[in-house]
Amino acid sequence: MPLISNLDVWVNIALIKQYHENLSADKAQELVIRYLTGYGMEHISNKRNPALTNRERFCAMLLRAAMVIDSIVVIDRPFTIIPDVQDDRFIYDSLKAVDDSFKECHIFDYLWSKDRYRMIGL
Amino acid sequence: MINAIVRIGTTTINVTRTFRDTLSFAFTIILKMFNKNSYNSATRLVIIHQIYFTSIQILPLFIGISIIFGTLLMGIVFQIIKNLGLAEHLGRILMNLVVTELAPFVTVLLIALRSSSAINAEIAVMKVNKELNTLDKFNIDTVDYLFLPRVINGVISVVLLSAFFSILVLTSGLLFSKLLFGLSLESYSNVLLSSANFYDIVISLIKCCAFGFFITLIPIRFGLHATNDLTSIPISVLNGMVDVFIAIVFIEVLSLILIFI
Repeated sequence: MPLISNLDVWVNIALIKQYHENLSADKAQELVIRYLTGYGMEHISNKRNPALTNRERFCAMLLRAAMVIDSIVVIDRPFTIIPDVQDDRFIYDSLKAVDDSFKECHIFDYLWSKDRYRMIGL
Repeated sequence: MINAIVRIGTTTINVTRTFRDTLSFAFTIILKMFNKNSYNSATRLVIIHQIYFTSIQILPLFIGISIIFGTLLMGIVFQIIKNLGLAEHLGRILMNLVVTELAPFVTVLLIALRSSSAINAEIAVMKVNKELNTLDKFNIDTVDYLFLPRVINGVISVVLLSAFFSILVLTSGLLFSKLLFGLSLESYSNVLLSSANFYDIVISLIKCCAFGFFITLIPIRFGLHATNDLTSIPISVLNGMVDVFIAIVFIEVLSLILIFI
């Protein structure tokens, strides 16, 4: 599911909390910046989708999914979003950084990509 | 002959269907507008952004056009009033011409040219990029989050900018009233205030609201008509803007009929 291209990254992520929990814009922005800082990506908060690198886009999409209450994060073929990444270390680290905010995570990929999942396993 | 009849019939059916769909969509938006559950932190943020894009960013251009166009027009109108010896009707002519007719029309044309086309393209691009599906997947109502704030912004912007246009043009009229009729600021203000008719102002307000409502609603509806093809974006904008123009003319004619009944 693509990021909304005419919204900044922080609005894309905060939107879920603002819309479903009526969290004020200031508080939602603060929360998003905190998570982005955890990734060392606070500089992307005011960028838009086309200006992001693959890794930044992946983290933004993951954070947005994690904003849903009791979320079950489903990642379909993650290496299509981050084709420059060779193994699952980056995915593992990204998930680890926000593992307090989602209930479960499921990754779907082709069997022939099995070797790339050394840390998570497939 | 039969082909011509078929063509007329098909066109009539299409026009009627478009009109019915637009009214049905308008009804949905109006229902949402008066439902307090439609408003949350996210929609409020979009309303603020939209008002900024439509009413604030346009201000330098709007003020420039109002002053240039208004001053020239006021000069011509005052000269005509003087030549025809209609000085005693000065206030009434100005109120009818500027507040009821000219201000809403110029404002709606400027906003339609700038914002309606942008809204149409924006929604069409979101449709093509499947961003509307994304909102849907996150259980975010596109009417609440995307459409309603834009329509509310349209109504607020046209009403406010139209009032602003009236103030600017009537203020420039002060210069000509002094030059041609020797009126002081106080006399000029009294002439205008005594000519202000409550019914005219209400009609003008309703007209501004209708303009603002439809010049944002129609582009949204046509933006949603875009297919998955990138080439459908310019077609949707083209069709949307033609319908916006038809809606402006339709509302203008309707308001003139209401005023002269």
